[in-house]
Amino acid sequence: MKTYVNIILACAVLIVANSCSTDKKDVVIDPKMYHDAVDQITDVIVHDIFSPPVASRIYAYSSIAAFEVEAAHDSTFRSLAGQLHGLTPIPQPTNEVNYDIAAIQAGLAVGKALIFSEDKLEEFQNNWYKKLDELGVSSNIKNNSTEYGKTVAKHILAWADKDNYKQTRTFEKYNVKDEPGRWQPTPPAYIEAIEPHWNEIRTFIIDSADQFIPAKPTAFSIKKDEKFFAEVNEVYETGKNLTEEQAEIASFWDCNPYVMNVHGHVMFATKKITPGGHWMGITKIACTKNKSSIAESAEAYALTAIALADGFISCWDEKYRSNLIRPETVINTHIDETWKPLLQTPPFPEYTSGHSVISSAASVALTSLFGENFQFADSTETAFGLPVRSFNSFYQASSEAAISRLYGGIHYRPAIEEGLRQGRLVGNWVVDHVFTRRRKGADQQAG
Amino acid sequence: MRILRFSVIYVCLAVTAILPGCDSDKKLFKKLDVVGAGITFENTLNSTDDFNIIDYLYFYNGGGIAIGDINDDGLPDIFFSGNQVKNKLYLNKGNLLFEDISAQAGIEGNSTWNTGSVMADVNGDGLLDIYVCAVVGLKNLRGHNELYINNGDNTFSERSEEFGLDFDSYSSSAAFLDFDLDGDLDMYLLNHAVHTSESFGNVELRNKRSYETGDKLLRNDNGKFVDISEAAGIYGGINGYGLGIAVSDFNMDGYPDIYVGNDFHEDDYYYINNGDGTFSEKGRSAFTYTSRFSMGSDVADINHDGLPDLISLDMLPEDETVLKRSEGDENINTLRMRTDQYGYYYQFERNMLQVNQGNGEFAETGLLSSVAATDWSWSAIFSDFDQDGNQDLFISNGIPHRPNDLDYIKYVSNEKISQTMDVSKIVDQEALSLMPGGEINNYVFKGTGDYGFQDMSTTWLPNEKTCSTATAIADLDNDGDLDVVVSNVNNKPGIYINQTNEKAAYLKIKLKYDEKNTYAIGSKVYAYKDGKLQYKEMFTVRGFQSSSQPMIHFGFGNNTTADSVSVVWPNGKRQTLREPHLNQTLEVKYDETSSKQYVKPVNVDQLHFEQISQDEIGLTFEHKEDEYTDFDRLKLLPYQQSDKGPATAVGDINNDGLDDIYFGGSKRIPSQIFIHSENKLKRVQFPVMERDSIKEDIDAVIADFNGDGKSDLYVGTGGADFYAKAEPLLDSYYKSSDTGFKLDEIKDYYENVKCVRPFDYDGDGDLDIFVGSESVSNDFGKVPRSYLLQNENGSFKPVQSDLFANLGMVTDAVWEDFDGDGKFDLVVVGEWMKPVFLKSDGSSFKIDNVIQGDMSGLWQSVSSFDIDQDGDQDFVLGNWGLNSKYKASASSPMKMYYSDFDKDGKSETIIAIEKYGKYYPLDAFDMLASQIVSLHKKFTSYKSFAGKTIEEIFTDEQLGNAKVYDVHNLASGYLVNNKGTFSFKPLPMDIQLSPVLTQLKYDFDKDGEDELLLAGNYFGVQPFNGRFGSFGGALVDSENRILTGNSIGLNFINKSVRHLNVVNVGDHRYLIVTVNNDKAQVYKLLK
Repeated sequence: MKTYVNIILACAVLIVANSCSTDKKDVVIDPKMYHDAVDQITDVIVHDIFSPPVASRIYAYSSIAAFEVEAAHDSTFRSLAGQLHGLTPIPQPTNEVNYDIAAIQAGLAVGKALIFSEDKLEEFQNNWYKKLDELGVSSNIKNNSTEYGKTVAKHILAWADKDNYKQTRTFEKYNVKDEPGRWQPTPPAYIEAIEPHWNEIRTFIIDSADQFIPAKPTAFSIKKDEKFFAEVNEVYETGKNLTEEQAEIASFWDCNPYVMNVHGHVMFATKKITPGGHWMGITKIACTKNKSSIAESAEAYALTAIALADGFISCWDEKYRSNLIRPETVINTHIDETWKPLLQTPPFPEYTSGHSVISSAASVALTSLFGENFQFADSTETAFGLPVRSFNSFYQASSEAAISRLYGGIHYRPAIEEGLRQGRLVGNWVVDHVFTRRRKGADQQAG
Repeated sequence: MRILRFSVIYVCLAVTAILPGCDSDKKLFKKLDVVGAGITFENTLNSTDDFNIIDYLYFYNGGGIAIGDINDDGLPDIFFSGNQVKNKLYLNKGNLLFEDISAQAGIEGNSTWNTGSVMADVNGDGLLDIYVCAVVGLKNLRGHNELYINNGDNTFSERSEEFGLDFDSYSSSAAFLDFDLDGDLDMYLLNHAVHTSESFGNVELRNKRSYETGDKLLRNDNGKFVDISEAAGIYGGINGYGLGIAVSDFNMDGYPDIYVGNDFHEDDYYYINNGDGTFSEKGRSAFTYTSRFSMGSDVADINHDGLPDLISLDMLPEDETVLKRSEGDENINTLRMRTDQYGYYYQFERNMLQVNQGNGEFAETGLLSSVAATDWSWSAIFSDFDQDGNQDLFISNGIPHRPNDLDYIKYVSNEKISQTMDVSKIVDQEALSLMPGGEINNYVFKGTGDYGFQDMSTTWLPNEKTCSTATAIADLDNDGDLDVVVSNVNNKPGIYINQTNEKAAYLKIKLKYDEKNTYAIGSKVYAYKDGKLQYKEMFTVRGFQSSSQPMIHFGFGNNTTADSVSVVWPNGKRQTLREPHLNQTLEVKYDETSSKQYVKPVNVDQLHFEQISQDEIGLTFEHKEDEYTDFDRLKLLPYQQSDKGPATAVGDINNDGLDDIYFGGSKRIPSQIFIHSENKLKRVQFPVMERDSIKEDIDAVIADFNGDGKSDLYVGTGGADFYAKAEPLLDSYYKSSDTGFKLDEIKDYYENVKCVRPFDYDGDGDLDIFVGSESVSNDFGKVPRSYLLQNENGSFKPVQSDLFANLGMVTDAVWEDFDGDGKFDLVVVGEWMKPVFLKSDGSSFKIDNVIQGDMSGLWQSVSSFDIDQDGDQDFVLGNWGLNSKYKASASSPMKMYYSDFDKDGKSETIIAIEKYGKYYPLDAFDMLASQIVSLHKKFTSYKSFAGKTIEEIFTDEQLGNAKVYDVHNLASGYLVNNKGTFSFKPLPMDIQLSPVLTQLKYDFDKDGEDELLLAGNYFGVQPFNGRFGSFGGALVDSENRILTGNSIGLNFINKSVRHLNVVNVGDHRYLIVTVNNDKAQVYKLLK
């Protein structure tokens, strides 16, 4: 008990000392702090095993929260309130705040509410608070800013609460039926179809989930001379004759948050970031390379995350419209019982390719901010034992992400090509309708 | 005659009473100091980065044990095979001292990885030889299976090549048996695959032979073993994961049959010996389902009916914390894919006790028998350890690391997995060490002579946590009782010395047969005392990867003599000994002058029914259930509501004075009507009814409701798919008219109807109807409105709505004058409710509390029947039965909480059962959290959830807001009429195997008195609950005379029976059995 009291006293002294010595200084918050916070959210998403669509929702709300704080004070930026479906202006701070701290806090607080393992975000947050102290942020400013960040988070979460996510948790499961061409669970874990009602989630900026319905997939057929069988065979043959580079590309873009390894009774999951998480990583790389401020970074994350989130809604709308069977099921049943795709087949229908749609949408968003020929070295997957790959543009990266699904043996070609097109339509809609800058917005509105 | 005994239930109760007051010196088994006894063997495993459970999936299965008297000194000797360590042979020197003669005997072995070991007199010279299995060819594992031929001087010669048994494959174990009864021993080699394929693959894989992984049947042709697997019909594919083998003459035709337990998704194989050198695999027709991750197995006659019963082990944990942390059964959609698309059979993760019914079928009683959950289990050994005359059961278990720990699978492993593309190196020793340990106590159960077993583990066994795999039994100290030897992973063997000693009588029998099968493998031994039969077969390969002392052992309690012992030798000749003295070792030599020959016993005592094809009476009805799966929508629903049909009604629908039949359809499948025509039934279309095919018909009545002299039809509808005020949920009332039938619907009642019971309760000359409702679609747990329809000139009006709307989740009802006042009353039963007695005053009803005690149950059916033959009406009540994971008693009722837990605007139900004085949800975390997502926030690991009570999982507010339903009793039984009050008595155990869904009171045997026929079985539950298919039906004559369905010609096992009806067709009476999702059965009444 005595020790405990002493520690509290010591802390109090420290805090007093800190605030005395640094109260007047203008503290600059390194954008890295913000990127670290986004990374931490990604880590918890990986740990908690959120599916790609759900992860994109977490990214979107947490990024928008951070951006709205910055837009509330920085005249360069324009609030998304009134632009995104259902978003109203955030409350203004009542005390003096550091908007960068508040923005990071808002993002973290939204993230914390949307993930499961809160302790993992709390630990990060506490360390971050300590770093702020070390940096010389006054306790007053720190408290005001974090309080304000949390207030904004509440506002954003109240908005998020109305997007039908909660309701869709308990909607009817996908009905597994043994019908020709209909999707069914795949080896080895035979996981149930993920998010069959994701098209019922409120979109952010696109009009509706079915605004960009892609062309119909090729009609299912196992007749050798028909188009569908040729597409299946392409997956099979490609898989059997993979070049080293194709295999590397497939693995690099795997982005499967939950790969089940089965060795007899021993089972374990290898977990990676989601496709959306990968593009959030690319956003960080671009911001860092561009030396973007926290406000600019928040803008980039928010715009990219909106493109990702609406991309997933649009894609999932089609997935459970066409309910198309995966190549692994068709090949195992009709061509080669022992064939296994290089990548583990993800647990949802085939058409269109989620990675293709969302990569395409994200690349449009990022290109609108960083330009067409933005070279970058993508090190997002190094934590998962994968190499760095370099790209000359976001489009190049998204095209590679898309074709990787053919190499990986989990998609037919039309899902990739139509997916890229669907994603571009979503991305274009996002950059045409979401105005993050005041001037840009005013100009465009005038035009 | 197979009359069910009542004593069963009371035996169970009596055993419970014995439990308290046991102390350590009452332990039945005393642990032997093995080192002091001279045994130094230790099956030490060396798990390295290069060779571990990832490289070899059965790394922790342990070695083998073979026990037998190798030097003919009357003392059983012990052989241990070691996985990575050398084999050991210990000579029994008496007084529980052993001498290690391994080196001199030359049996230490040359294979890198040994597995099972068995003893048998392979060359027929009278001496026990040893066969040691090995895993060869995987990674750097070398060697081959070895056959050590006994030289008779405590030395052995390895002669596997000469005999053709030097297999270098992936062997688990082997069994020696004379399958072709040619006098010498043949061998079944049990092999296993070493990699699990990611995809189920088609069942056809088992037909493609693989040398390494496929099982083999080897015929002994004059000392050379010849592989005849393919010709003999033995599967040998790459998906065989053979871990368990049991040999027995299951069908009692004189030829030994074989049960092979396969791990993972491959079905267990049940090979019936055709007697012509071939086998037929008949698992599907014999079992309602099997264990899933099958490990060891054993056979014994547990219920004294002279038929061998089987246990097959699995890995379901009993401990609540381990249970909730471990991966459990698959979800229903995966199960359906595996069975319907890939062609595998039903398998569930728990020990299965398959009780032989004598007609080729088995009833599975594991849950009722309390032996279903013994954790990671390897060996099962039936024996009469306490020598009370009943078979007890020992189960060894344990695993050094639990690989199915859910936190390990989902969270822990990932953080330790090296980031490498090399999958074989992905998990290192450190990562493996993070799995929680699984060392546990072995189990022993005391048998009660019927289906009952009592867990005596803590009373009979020393308290020690081990990983015990192979197990063998023997009388090591020659004191007459049976001692147990277990092989422990990473430890010395455990030897448990039985302390029964002189407290109860025994009889040990050694058989001496001629020809080459010197130990008389395959003999049957029958022992009788006071009319009680004990039956044993001479097969030594039992448990798991081991063989026990070749002898027959019986316990006889306080007796000093047996009435008789008879031996049926492998060639079928029978020898009988009269009144042998007990407490001795009886040596029985084959006497070839014996004239008696074995005859296959006849199971059927008294045929009442003969099953015939539908064609014979012109019927062509097969019910098809629609594809709707309730669990896709209501994730926490305890059992489906969509599979309660079809309706069946017998009556004279075309007014020609003859019986016709109406069968309802499930959703979008039209009903079918068969009318009587030229002494046959003939399907006739009634367009007005077929137009209503969208409705799901659950119960129906044909009668003249509007008094025009023509039959009308009332159909109660349900199906639980349509919800809210969907039109197809309205009951149909087809009124006859001159132009045919006209549809009238009963307005406003959208509930899922379960029963329609007509009666003229108000005595006005027309038929009124009670309609019982079971549930409200999409809102299970809400009380549906049942209704009493008063007939007013042929149209119906609900009366006393307040009373009838609140009866509960009604399943059945019967009109009967229960109080003898001359006015017919209504007795209503249902789920999560007590039976309700509604007393009539001739025009209205009120509830009469006449039942003693709280009889809330999951009641399924009711009949009025004078079961005690005292002249008044008793009530026979069908309940859920006692063979499920549900558990309820008056002191610890099962509870169902009904509330909108997740605040999504829809209510759900959560079932909690009591364990060790606390209440736990029945469902696993993933199941609960799939509906109540907020639990993910509260419990971020399985460890944090496992072992939490219902009160810890949910807040006081959540539970406080819930409506709580109780069930006090799950047994089917009857309410005895004690002159106005009613008290409950349970029916015998055979009737508790499944829900009893329907009853028919009828004079089947034309003796002038009605009997009551009971039927049931139900499959609409999640895989976690399995399938309830083991009830073969029962014919109740009186409480003292109840005949099992199997013994009177009924084939109800594995059929979910919905209705029983008798129709007259031509000159005969037929029983029509309506089965959900199957063809209707037709039986000719033989009396």
